[in-house]
This record gives sequence, C-alpha cells and structure tokens, in this order.
Amino acid sequence: MKKFLVIVFILLTAMSFAKVFFASTQMTPSEERAFLLSKLSEFTKKTGIDVELLNLGYADILARVEAEQKTGKVKLGLIADLQGGLYLLASKGYLMDLSKFKFPDRTFLLEKYAYADGKKIFVPWLQATYVMVVNKEAFKYLPKGLTEDDVKYGTEKWTYDALLEWVENIMKKTGRYPLGFPMAPGGLWHRFLHGYIYPSFTGAQVIKFDSVKALEMWEYLKKLMKYVHPASSTWDKMDEPLMRGEVLIAWDHTARIKQAIVSTPDKFCVVPVPRGPMGRGYIIVLVGLAVPKNAPNMDQIEKLIDYLTTPEVQVAILKNVGFFPIVKEAAGAIPEGALKVLAEGVLNQSATKDGIVSFIPNLGPKGGEFTGTYREAFRRIVMEGEDPVKVVKELGEKIRKMFKETGSALPEPDVSLY
Amino acid sequence: MTEGKTVAWLLLLPTLLFLAAFIGYPLVSAFTLAFSGETSALDNFKSLFQDRMFWRALKYTLLLAGVIVPIQLVLAIAFALLVNTRFKGYSFLLYVISIPLALSDVTAALMSYTMFAPMGYINKILMNLGITKAPIYFFGFMFRNREFWVIALTEIWRATPLVFVIILAGLQSINREYLEAADIFGFTRMQKLFKIILPLLKPSIMSALLIRTLFAFQIFGVVWLLAGRDIPVLAGETYYQYIHLNNPKMASVYGVVIAVITLVISYFYLFSLQSKHLEGGR
Repeated sequence: MKKFLVIVFILLTAMSFAKVFFASTQMTPSEERAFLLSKLSEFTKKTGIDVELLNLGYADILARVEAEQKTGKVKLGLIADLQGGLYLLASKGYLMDLSKFKFPDRTFLLEKYAYADGKKIFVPWLQATYVMVVNKEAFKYLPKGLTEDDVKYGTEKWTYDALLEWVENIMKKTGRYPLGFPMAPGGLWHRFLHGYIYPSFTGAQVIKFDSVKALEMWEYLKKLMKYVHPASSTWDKMDEPLMRGEVLIAWDHTARIKQAIVSTPDKFCVVPVPRGPMGRGYIIVLVGLAVPKNAPNMDQIEKLIDYLTTPEVQVAILKNVGFFPIVKEAAGAIPEGALKVLAEGVLNQSATKDGIVSFIPNLGPKGGEFTGTYREAFRRIVMEGEDPVKVVKELGEKIRKMFKETGSALPEPDVSLY
Repeated sequence: MTEGKTVAWLLLLPTLLFLAAFIGYPLVSAFTLAFSGETSALDNFKSLFQDRMFWRALKYTLLLAGVIVPIQLVLAIAFALLVNTRFKGYSFLLYVISIPLALSDVTAALMSYTMFAPMGYINKILMNLGITKAPIYFFGFMFRNREFWVIALTEIWRATPLVFVIILAGLQSINREYLEAADIFGFTRMQKLFKIILPLLKPSIMSALLIRTLFAFQIFGVVWLLAGRDIPVLAGETYYQYIHLNNPKMASVYGVVIAVITLVISYFYLFSLQSKHLEGGR
C-alpha cells in the first residue's frame, strides 16, 4: 500500500511539473493573449498540466522550430500558426503526422486542408475571414437593382460595380465619405488587395498579377478610392470608425470589427464581399495546431489539443477574440446577439456559389515583402498615379522572384489553376 | 595609486559592461547588417537611395525639424523671458507650460486625434456653432498638408517645455549685474535682449537646439499615430522595414543614415554655435 501511494505521489508530482511549451502566432494583441492565458490556466487547473504560452512572429516561429529540429533539442510541444506557415514547416519535415490523434466526439471543418503529402500535419483549430460590415442606415441608399437581400446573401447582383454605384449614391445624398478600409501600416489592407479583389478580377492572387484583367482591377480601384474615407490611411482597424459613424460600409478581419457588432448589434449587418468578373474572392484564415517532430510530453499535448477544440472553448474564442469555430458542434452553442450576426455574415460568405477561396501564402521571412509589394502597387498606381502597366510588370517580377527564392508553394486559388 | 586606479575601473566596469551590451553591441550589429549586401557592402545603401520612400521620408523629416525646432526655440525663449520676470502667478504659468513634459508622444498624438478627428472637438464645436456643415478633414492621404501641420502643432506643444526648461535655467544663471549696468547706460529692452541676454544665453540655446534637433530627427510616435505613412519619416520607415517588411538590413541602413545625419548636425551645432564670451565659451 505504501509503495502504491509513493508511486501515485511521484506520478502526481511528475504530472504537476509536466509542461507544454505552446508557441502561437495568433492572439498576440494584449487582450487576446490575456484571454488565451486565462483559458490555458483553466486547463492547468483541470489537468495539472502547465502550459507556457509564447507569442512569436511568423518568421520567428519558423526560425525557432528550425533551430530546435537542427540541434535536436526540441522544447516546443505545440504550435498554432496559419496553415501556410504549417505547410512550410511540414515541407521541411519538421512536423509530426497527427493521424493518430482522434477526437471522435467532434467534426472538424476544412480538415481536407490539414494534409500535406498524405500526412495530417495539423489539427484545424480556428478559422477567420475578412468581411464587409454595413451600417443599416446605408441600405436607404441602395442603387436601383440591388436589394438588401442581394447584399446579405451575396447574390450575383452584389458586385464591385454595384458597390461603386452604392457608395457614389451615399456620397451624393449625404455628402459623407461612405467607405472605409484599414489602410494604415498596421491594418490588413494588403489582404484585401491580394486575397479579395485580385482573385475577384483575375481569378488568382499571384500568377495574374500583371495580367490585362489586373489592369482593369486597378482602374476600378482608382474609381472606388474617390469614395473611401481619407482617414482610412490612418486606420489600423475598422471597429472604431464604424462605431463613431465615420463610415457606413467597411471591410476588415472579423476580429477587428467584432467590437462594433458587440457594441450595437442591431445597427450593423455583416455581409459577404462583392463579386468581381471572375467570382467572389475571399480569404479563409485557417489556424492549425501542429506538433514538432520529437516534441516531449505527447500525452499532455494531445490533452491540450483536445481542450482547445472543445465546442465550449471554440465559442469562448469566438466571443473574446473573433475567430470562428472549426468544430461543427460549436455552431449550436453560439448565443443570439452580436456573435450570431458575425457568424451569419461569415457563413453566408462561405455559402456563396461563386466563392474563390484564397489562402494566405507563407513565404517565411519574405512574407512582409510580399504584402508590402501589393501595398506598393496600390500606392504607386492609385495614390501617385504612376503608369499601371509599368508598375505591375516591375512588381510582378518581384513577386515571382520571391516565390522562386523561398521555394514556397503557390497559394489557393493559384495552385488550382495549374 | 595603482590600487586607486583599479578601484576606479572596477567601479566603472558595470556601466561599461551595460553600455557595451546594450549600446555597443546593437550599434555594431546595426552597422554590420547595414553593410552586409549580397554582392557588395554598399548594396543596401544603393537600394535605399533608389527607393522613393527614402527621399520622401528624408524630405518630411527635414521639413518637420525645420519647422518645429525654430518655432519651439522662439516660443521657449519668449516663455522663459516672461516667467523670469517673476510676475504674480508665474509659478502657475511655469507648471502649465511644463505639463506636456509628463506626456508620452503616444498620449500627445491621441489627444491631438480627439481634437482634430472628423468627429473630434474642433469639428463638433464648429458644426454646433453653425460655422461648418460638414466636418473638416485633417487626416488622410488626401490631406497631407493638414496632417503635416497637425503633427507640427502637436510636436510644438509637446516638446517646447523641454527647450523652455533649458532656456529658463540658462536665463536664471545670467549675472544680474550686466542687466543693471545696461539699465544705467540706458539700454532699451530690445537692446538688452539682443546685446546681452541672447549672447549670454548662447550655451543654453546651443544645448537646447542640439537636444531638440536630435530628437526631431528621430520623430516617430506622433507621426505614425496621426498620419501613418502618409507623412513618411526616417524613424517611421526604420520601424516599417523591420516590423512590417521583416527586413532588418534595410532597417539598419535607415538607422545608420539617421545616425550620420544627427552626427553632422551635432558637429554643426557644437563648432559653429560656440559662445565666445567668458560666461559660456572657451
């Protein structure tokens, strides 16, 4: 009996010292990090497994995993990153095959994107997207032929041309700039450029950068900019401009407009983005949980993944951060109110028949240069009036060179076009 | 004696180690990164000089420094002369002028934003009084000139107290006998100011100008928060290159350029504005 008690005591002590190092590129803003830490401490209380959260940048997580794998001293147990980053890690052979991790009580959405070379390289954890938010007051100024339902459900009438007519109408009748985008350096404007409007007009993010259709797109953007609030270039996120009533229609990441919806859910409507000539380009941000090869404490890691993908935690993340559940069972747990408003917009966007799903490419250390190039194209063509043909030719070469140098795979939808 | 020297070095050692670790090493690393090109040491500099944003950032940095620093100097001297008369209630004025010293550039920028935003105080007052029907836009890519002046105003308000404090200290150290003698000889106020006070204030003016100009070339927080890259500045581009483009080499090049410019300016101030009078010069 004594021996048994000693063994149990040793096991309990060992468990209490068991630690999982969890590196995440997501939930880095202080409020989001604080929320994640609170969830992890609940996990620790339940299981006795300590979790240390490390927020790392996209390039830093690659460097850290690479360093640990090359030295053989693997400390990181769990990684949360965008699917592009995880594909890059997997391509270098740094991730474990997680096919043996089974969670029979839940159905994972978008699981087909969790595989590379026949191996399951991550467990889908969260998804996010970028949507349009419309102040319901704006519906008073809809152009002829476009209805509120067309906009809400993303019908074929909800096009970029219709958007242009709509904002022109609003400006004529109210004298206000109606449209806002997060164009500040810290904003996600570059995602709109490469993941939304580019695929909508050209069918691709990268390979048609300097095509004739791209030139049409740039001409369209020049026209649209006349109705974009000039202070957009100083906005990192759109929740506050929406709440202040500075714009009536905005585009941004769901996490960055969430506050506006939560503050006054009856005032706003989350809608799919418009469609262009080639379809309705939109980004799905898929965050996965991956395990580096030879990571320690595998049982603890599996328990942590299990916890993070429970419907309750998934809905809590939606409430506090704005990332959407990846587990089907969580849908029924979303309460009425602001979250339902958000969820409806996101679901309506995913349900559109003409959707062109884009993934954010992972170019490792060149990721910043990739997004900077799209911003540079916008600045030079739209804001400085440079010749679009010259600019897209020059920058198209630059982007193709980036993919060649890093050996990164083309993202969706480009890779499907080959 | 040797023992004394040893003790002296030992006492200096912690500071020297700190400087070496937190200033020396980053400085050397920054220079190494800046001069590590793919084909030659000057590759990064060639890319920098070919980048239009660099020239724009240089232009705006020089413009901002050129506008802000002289205005601050004039205002600081005026306030210092006023406070130095020790009129009734001068301490209250001293405290009011010094309040912005306690504010960070982020706080100052946010305060400016609440005043000048489309739904900010100024627009609300103007619209409520019926002076304007729609808000006046001070921020945004179409209103760069207005953004520039809001930034200049914010910086002038925020950083003038620093110049003021240095000038006031210098003013208070001027021997009153000179001014009394000037009174006896019938000097007017303007003559006293230009013939006695300002020449004797030269060392303080030089210190204030040096500090303020060096900070002006590093202007970042106010510009970034109010105008983003609508008004690019050298320090802002350094930040953008490192944080957003993940390009430490280009960020280091910007850092080196800022360092060189501030060295040149320091040289100019130290050797051309030197006071030749007994009180302040060699």
